[in-house]
Order: sequence, then C-alpha cells, then structure tokens
Amino acid sequence: MQQQLAQLVATAQAESKSVTNRAEMEAFKARVVGPNGSLTAAMKGMATLSKEERPIVGKLINEAKKSVEEILAALLTKIEDAEIGSALGTPLDPTLTGNETPAGFIHPLSRTREKILNTFKKLGFTIAEGPEIETEWHCFDALNTPADHPARDMQDTLYLPKTFRSVDAPRRGEEALVLRTHTSSVQIRTLLNRKPPFRIVAPGRCFRRDAVDATHSANFHQIEGLWIDHQVTLADLRGVLDFFVKETFGADAEIRLRPSYFPFTEPSFEMDLRSPNLGRLSNRWLEIMGCGLVDPKVLELCGLDPKEYSGLAFGLGLERIAMLVHGIDDIRHFYNNDLRFLRQFA
Amino acid sequence: MKVSFQALGRHVDLSGVTPEKLSEVLPMLGLEVESIQSFGLAPMPRVVVGEIQAFEKHPQADRLSVCKVDVGDGTLRQIVCGAKNFKTGDRVPVALPGTTMPSGFEIKVSKLREVESQGMMCSSEELGLGKGEDGLLILTAQKPAIGTPLNKLYGKPDSVLEISVTPNRGDCLGYRGLAREAAAALGLTLKPLTVKTVAGLSASPSAKDAFKFVRSENSFCPYYTARTLRNVKVGPSPDWLRRDLEAVGLRPINNVVDITNWVMLELGQPLHAFDAAKVKEGIEVRAAKAGEELTLLDGKKLSLDSTSWVIADAQRPLVLAGVMGGVDSGVSATTTDIILESAWFTPGEVRRIARRAGISTDSSYRFTRDVDPAGVELASRLATDLLIELAGAEVVGPAVSTGKPPRADVKIELPAGFVAAKCGAPITDADVTAALEKLGFTVEKSKAGFTVTVPSFRSDVTRPIDLVEEFIRIYGTNQIPAGRPIAPLPGDEDTRSSIFTREVTSRLAGAGFTECCHYTLRDAAECELTVGADHAKLLALENPLTADQSHVRASLVPGLIGALSRNVAVNADPRGFFEVGVVFRPQADGAVREFLSVAFAAPAEALVRSWKVPAAFDIIKAKRLLQDIAQLAGVAATRVSFTDAKSALWQLEHAANLSDRGRSAEGACGVVELRWTRSMGLKGSIIAGEVMFPRSSFVDVQRIPRFEAFSSFPPVTRDVAVIVPVATSASEVLTRVQQAASKAAGKEFDLEYVNCFDVFNGPGLPEGSKSLAFEIRWRHNERTLTDEETNRALGTVIAALEKGAGWVIRK
Repeated sequence: MQQQLAQLVATAQAESKSVTNRAEMEAFKARVVGPNGSLTAAMKGMATLSKEERPIVGKLINEAKKSVEEILAALLTKIEDAEIGSALGTPLDPTLTGNETPAGFIHPLSRTREKILNTFKKLGFTIAEGPEIETEWHCFDALNTPADHPARDMQDTLYLPKTFRSVDAPRRGEEALVLRTHTSSVQIRTLLNRKPPFRIVAPGRCFRRDAVDATHSANFHQIEGLWIDHQVTLADLRGVLDFFVKETFGADAEIRLRPSYFPFTEPSFEMDLRSPNLGRLSNRWLEIMGCGLVDPKVLELCGLDPKEYSGLAFGLGLERIAMLVHGIDDIRHFYNNDLRFLRQFA
Repeated sequence: MKVSFQALGRHVDLSGVTPEKLSEVLPMLGLEVESIQSFGLAPMPRVVVGEIQAFEKHPQADRLSVCKVDVGDGTLRQIVCGAKNFKTGDRVPVALPGTTMPSGFEIKVSKLREVESQGMMCSSEELGLGKGEDGLLILTAQKPAIGTPLNKLYGKPDSVLEISVTPNRGDCLGYRGLAREAAAALGLTLKPLTVKTVAGLSASPSAKDAFKFVRSENSFCPYYTARTLRNVKVGPSPDWLRRDLEAVGLRPINNVVDITNWVMLELGQPLHAFDAAKVKEGIEVRAAKAGEELTLLDGKKLSLDSTSWVIADAQRPLVLAGVMGGVDSGVSATTTDIILESAWFTPGEVRRIARRAGISTDSSYRFTRDVDPAGVELASRLATDLLIELAGAEVVGPAVSTGKPPRADVKIELPAGFVAAKCGAPITDADVTAALEKLGFTVEKSKAGFTVTVPSFRSDVTRPIDLVEEFIRIYGTNQIPAGRPIAPLPGDEDTRSSIFTREVTSRLAGAGFTECCHYTLRDAAECELTVGADHAKLLALENPLTADQSHVRASLVPGLIGALSRNVAVNADPRGFFEVGVVFRPQADGAVREFLSVAFAAPAEALVRSWKVPAAFDIIKAKRLLQDIAQLAGVAATRVSFTDAKSALWQLEHAANLSDRGRSAEGACGVVELRWTRSMGLKGSIIAGEVMFPRSSFVDVQRIPRFEAFSSFPPVTRDVAVIVPVATSASEVLTRVQQAASKAAGKEFDLEYVNCFDVFNGPGLPEGSKSLAFEIRWRHNERTLTDEETNRALGTVIAALEKGAGWVIRK
C-alpha cells in the first residue's frame, strides 16, 4: 500500500510537468483527485481494511494527499505566472526611454517675478494690479508730472488714438490714453481705492517708444512697491531695500541710495547694488531701481492728508534683475522664447 | 551735459581734486557722471615742432614722401610721410622715437618700404586733438620755434565730464551752479564772481539806445531785459574762449555769439544778441500771428500760429522765444551795434514751443528747466564785460527792462524735528543747519523750528520735504540706518488674478507646456487674423515706432505659433507652449476691454520620432484643459459651453468657441488654421486653446467651501442609447438626458451623474443618424434604490427622449 501511494504521488508529480494551461490542469486534477481519480480510488480502498490497519494506512493516505495538494498549488502558480507573463508582454528594459513630454519650463521672468514677490510678501506686501492701457492722469498727472513738465521728456510714450475707448481706464474729458510707461500708475489706483495702512507690490508690463536692442525693449516688466502708513521713513525704505537685495543677490550684496529725481517721490533716489557674485559685473555699483518717499503732492492728489500719512515707493525692472541674477546679456532673449534659452532656468 | 573740469575750476578751487574724485562725489549729490573724456593735448614731451626743409617722392611708393626735417637737435631727420598738405618750410608736429601716441601706438625708428623713417609727423587726429583738416597739423602760421615741445603751444589738457542733470536741477546747467554743488560736497568755498558792469536797470530806453521800446505784457515772459552795445568789432574769439566752447562740443562762430554762449555755460542763463540795424523800432515779446513765418539760424523755416511765442520788432517775428534766433536779425560780420537780450520765459511754454517746432537747443533746454530770475541781469552784465573787453563794445547806458523777476528767494518754515522724523534717524538740528548752509541756504531759528531761506536759483525747493532731500544729499544717505522690522498686516491678500496667474502657470508647466513671453505690440495683419479687420482697427496705436509694432495684441495664440515655428526652425524640438498675459478685445460697443488671457499650443502629433507612439494632443484634451483653467479662475465647468468656432485664426469645423453663462470668460480651442501654420513651417496640425477673463471677473474675496454630507448607500446605474440626426449636438442630447433623469428622480432621490460613453456612426443605423449612449447614475440618500424604482425612472427618461424630433431609443 505504502509503495502504491508513493507511486501515485510520483506519477502525479511527473504528469504535472507537462500541464501548461488551466484546461489541462482541470483534467489533471480530475485524474488524481476527481471522483474517479487515482487518489480518490486509494481512499475508497480504506473501507476494506481492518481496524488495526486503518490508522496506519490513513496516515499514509493523508501524507499522499498533502503531497498532491502541494503539486496542484505549485502547478497553479506556474500557470498563473505564465498567464500574467503573456498578458504583460515583452519584459521591461529598464534603460529604455520613450518620448513622453516632460514637465514644461516656467519662463525666467515669471520665476524672477515670483521670487521677488515672495521676498516682499515676507515683509507684508501683497500684490495689486492695474490696467496696461492707462489714462494720462493716472500715468502722469496724478504722479505730479503735469503735461508741460520736463520729466515727461524722460520717457517716450506710446499713445492710443483719441477715438480709443478703454473699459478698464475710462478717460476724463479730453485726456489721452497711453500704454503705461511704468507701474507707478498702480500706486495711484491703490491710493484711490484703499484705506491706509497698506503695503503693496504691483508687478506688470510697461511700454516705451524705444527701438529694440540688447538693452531696450518695446515692452518690459516692472515691480512697483508702495507702503503707506502714519509714519514711514527713509530708514524704512533702506530696511525694505536692504532685505530685498540680500534675499535676491545674497548676503554679500550691499546697497547705496544715490540722490536722484522723480516727480512723484521726494526725496528721490536711485538704488545701486554692489555684489561680488555677478560675474563680470561684480564689485561695481549697478543701478537697480528708483525709490523714495511718496511726494506729499501725490498723496494730496489722491485725497490723502500728507500731515497724517506718509509713504515710500520703489520701482524695479524685472528684466534687469533677471539679467543680473542669471548673467543674461541681451534682453531680447526673454521675448524670443528659444527653448535652448528657456530650459536653462528650469 | 558736457562739463569742462578746467572751466569748473574758475568757480571753485579744484587743485586738490582729480576729475575721477569729482566723478565719485557728484553722483552722490544726484548728478550722475556718465563718462570722463580727455580734451586737448595729452603730455607728450617727445612731440616737438619740426620744419620740413626738403622732401622728395619715395622711390618705391607713389603716395609716400621722404622728408628732411629739422627738429632743432642739430641734425636733419629723415621721415617718411603719407600726407600731401605740406610744402617746404612748413612747421609741423613731429613725434620722435620713444613717443607713445594717444592711440597707444609707439614711435620707433623703422623702415617704410625699405626707407628709414626717424619719427612721425602728426595730424590733429593722431595727437588726440580731434579731427582737423586732412593731413598734417600745419603750425606755420603760429611761427613756433623749431624744437619747441608741442605741449608748450597747447594749454594743459582738460577732462570733460558728461553729466546727466535731472529735470529739477536747472541750476546745475551752468558752471556756477555745478561748482556750488561740488563745493558743498567737498567742503570747499565758492570763489567770488566779479562783474565790472554796474547793476541797475532802466524802465525805458534812452535816446542812445538802439530801440524805442521793450514790451512784454504777458505771463509767458514776465521779465525781459535788453541792452544796447555800440561799435562792436565782430571777429574771431580769442583762443581761451574758443577752447572753452570746443571742450564742451560747441562750435565757435564769432566773438559776439561765442560770448553769449560762454556766459550761458557759466551761469546757465541763455542770452541772445540781435544785430541792432535789423531791429525795426523796438522789441516785443508776443504771441505769433497766424500766417507769420520765421527762418531760424539753422535754416529751418517755420510757419507760426498763435500758440507760439516770438520776440518781434515792430514788423515781424525775429526769434522763436527761448528756442532759437532768426537768420535775419542775427549777428554777422557787418554788424556794428547789437541788442543783448536776457530774459526769463515760462518753462512749460518753452517746452511746448520747442516740441511743436521739433527743436531742442541749449537755450530751450535751460529755459524749460527754470533759469534763475536773479541771474537774468547778472548774465547780461557778465556778457557786457566780455563784449567790451573782447569786441571793443561801447555801453550807452543800463539795460532796459520790462516786468520783474517772477520768483524771489523763498522762505520755508521747517518744523523742529521734521527732518529727523522723515529720515527715521537721530539727526540733530546742528546737522540740518550745517548741511543746508553748505548749499547757500540761510537757516534761522523760528518759533516752530527754523526759517530756511532758499535762493531763487533753487526753484525746486519750496516745501519742508524738499529740504529733507537737500539735507540728505549733503549729509549722506549711507548714514541712514536700516529701519524697524515689519510685521505683515492681517487680512491683506494678493489679488485673485495674481494668485490665478501663479496657479495656472504651475498647472500648465506641470502638464508639459513651457511658458513663453511675447511682445504686446504686434502688426496689423496678426490683429486682423485674430479679431477681423474691423476690430483690428480699434487696436491701433496713435504713434507706433515701427509698422510691426503698430497694434496691441488681441490673442496670445499667434505668439505661441511663432514660438513653435522658430523652435522648429532651430531644431529645438518644441513640445507645447503656453503664455499668461493681458490681451485687448474690442467689445460690441467699440470700447476695448483688457482680459487676462491664458493660451497654450502644441503639435497634435509629437515632432520627435519614437519607438513608442504617444497619444495625440487633440481638441477633446484642449477642451478639458480650458475647463480646468476656467475652474481655477472661478468659472465652474458647468457654466462653460462650447459651440463651433468661426474665426480666421481657427480651422473651420475643427475648433470650438468657449462661452460662459456668467459672461466672465471667453475663449476658443481646436486646430489652428492650417494654411497659416503650414506657412509658418509647421507640418502637422497645431492644437491650441485660449481662455480670457476680464479683470473685473476676478473677485478678491475667496469663497470658502461648506461641507455637505453624502450618502453611504450604493448607487444604481442604467444605460440608454438614443439615435439622433447627425447634426444634433452631443450637448443638446446630454442636456435632455440630464433634465429627464433629474426629473425622474424627483425629490425622492438624486441624479448623480450622466456620462456619454459611446458615439456610434457606423452601419446598422439609418442614413444621416448617429447613436449616443449614456450612463445614468442615481443614488438615494437613506437607502439602496430598488430595481422597480430605477426601472420606472429609466422609463421616464426614455419617454422624454422619444419626444425629441427624429430621436429613437436604440434597443
């Protein structure tokens, strides 16, 4: 009997080798453990045994049964593996790449803008915006630059025809509409619409009637800053600009405020930067932005009492900063959108 | 403005100061120094006067001469020369071996075409004296001794600083004013200015004057002076005067004109000299009359009208006031008597006149920056001194004036502590007083603080805040400490549109698009493509600089197509591009509205070859992207609908317009017009999308979502397919299914979802029809729905759909 059971298991083991799919496996299973299977027959034979033999043979049969179950389980695993393999196809070559589109690049001007805005956000400045087509009043007059003022010669302005009507910047009377020459116009819109105290930064596109070359662009971007409160001082201005420069150009960078002139600030300064980390522009004073205390006349024109409120303002050129930070030598790169340029700043 | 360092030294002792030092000091006062250039002959001890004793043609070169030159050292030097403008006996500068020329070229004994040359005879340009006549600098007329070092014939070399003066600082447009600034910064004193001609004005002309009246009864010229000078000998100016003019780029003309220019450089007050013989009866400052004409000194002929101001005689205009003299009344070689004008004109008006005439002169430049009224008479007297000295002029009496100086010194009440408060720094009264006094201001104690008297040359200083600037210029900005730390103001938030800009940028970059930045100004053709010819006209500029930058953009898509095209051309393998920016859209009423636009564009099929073909970019994906972008901007996807796009920018029947029920978004997506993209060198289809939001649609208050409980019971799903005419839009059928399914649920349970999962167009359907299949999902909030309820609901939907004209439920 013992020999007979060993033979049965060995046969099943051998036969299982040639089973390759589920149908064959079902047939094989029937041959061994089905109602007419070999193991089933052996188990039926138990009935003819004596009381003494039964426990002994029973044990042998249980062992054989266990062996057969193991054979069947192994067979199932083998068949499932084959099925999954054929469903998944050719094995992976982990070194092969396809042609999937990688994440895109964010434009260096956007990156620089976000970095600068984040810097000012740390100082409690929040973002404000205004229209790109502006009224002359918002762009010049309210900034203490009336029509016959020589400061209007400082910039060449692009005008819209008299017939142009803007939904976002309605004219008052006969005044002209212009493509804004600076984001300082957002100062005016903010002063008119909000109650101090506030601190805003206004990023945006500006326009000058300039021929395009390596340093001039028909449009460019500025970030304007304005802080209005009861007592804003030159020390505050210096503190804000110092923080900005160190965040943008590193702790080695230093600033100086060079007296200058803008109709809408008094006193007015150009802020110069000097840093050891700017390639061939290292260690010299570079003009970065105009700034100053808001001229009391501007506050008055916007309906604020200069005795009660004061403020500081600054305006920087985004392209200029990005060019310095990244060592870019031609402003036109920003507008050509050559991927060989754009992908360098990812 | 060009500034001669030597001329500046007449007003302040600069002996201990180099031009370089000065150019470090001036910027910190607000006077930017753009460049320093040398003027005159640099020290060159081995350049001497030589005499050409003989010369002959070079044996091997027709263009060269071999000269024998005496340089006073006892031998005749042989020098080969290429110039032609000399003769035997001429005296010329000779650079002896060992000289380094201003260009850096070193003179050595050398051979030129086999002939030895022992030095070089020099031209004006080679010596760094500027472009003179062609060939050698001929010194014969000056009769210098042979062997004299050339430096002895020329004065000390000068440095010329190019200074950019801000529009508020008219007082710095003369050496006197600049010297005052330099003296204040360097702790030096201003030298006194001595004028011999006595002060004093007469209210009316005397019999000796060359004019019978001087009139100016208007606000344009509140103060005018004229002086007669007789028996003037017009001729060339002396060397020192010519030098001063040439150093700053002015051309010497004759002594009279040169003197007026020189005084202008000194004091910043423009002067004008008339030939008295050409002035009929008297002088009047008046508005021009329509039809009057005036030919200016530069030959430009002006037709005048009443908006211009002129200086006229009894008959005709002579001068465009404050800008330029007329050719008829100017000083010439035959002039004997002159009338010298010194006046004050309203700055804004001069600016307007000059701009209208399209002329900017040294004179108009100064008048528009508000000359010092107190300098009007002084300049006239200084010029008179020089006319007497250099042109033998005879004075007949005082200058005749009309009107009076429009401004005088200004007194400003400066409250105590005001400067310190504005600076945010511990600044003492003594600091303030010391700084302001250096500038020539007078500071006196007053009840509330100080009374500061500002001289009339500083028209820009009228308020306490202006004194803060004056103080800080002298005190030094580097002494201001960095201020207090700042805490954010609670509740302040960025504008929604700026948050959206940031979010949409990272969303699209994450989706594989690269960000672009294009010019706002485009050409007319592009605008016509995007909004049509009629609307494009509304986007034109008044004064474009170039034809390709004549309009403001109405769409970002053309820029992106351009970027794809350029990147294909340079094999940079572009994928998708996007841009976020402002566009301008004409509205139905003709007004133009600004929109914040987001656009993307990508080739439908990837341009790079691959063993594995990626899924194509198509309009369905573009639509989804647009909806996601709109959602970011606060426009719910359910508000957005699409219809066929009919615009020249888009390929007909392969693009869709996006509209928003709430009217806060518009846009389009699909295949960009194929002929155009092909003409741009792009082979396959380009799929693009653009969605635009008016600025006003961004609401700065953000909606905070409120939680809503949801059912914990399973839903039931049923499918229904409906055969409809081909022309029927999917959204029409979908809407009907949604309405019916929602109605079928009633108040008892909820319609959760309807999805079009199959579109079938193939065989087995009636001609001209298509089948759309929908999956409907209902759910009850408190229990599982029964089959019976669900089937009843489906029956209602089917019944509703069967009412559609020509609609048949597919069994």
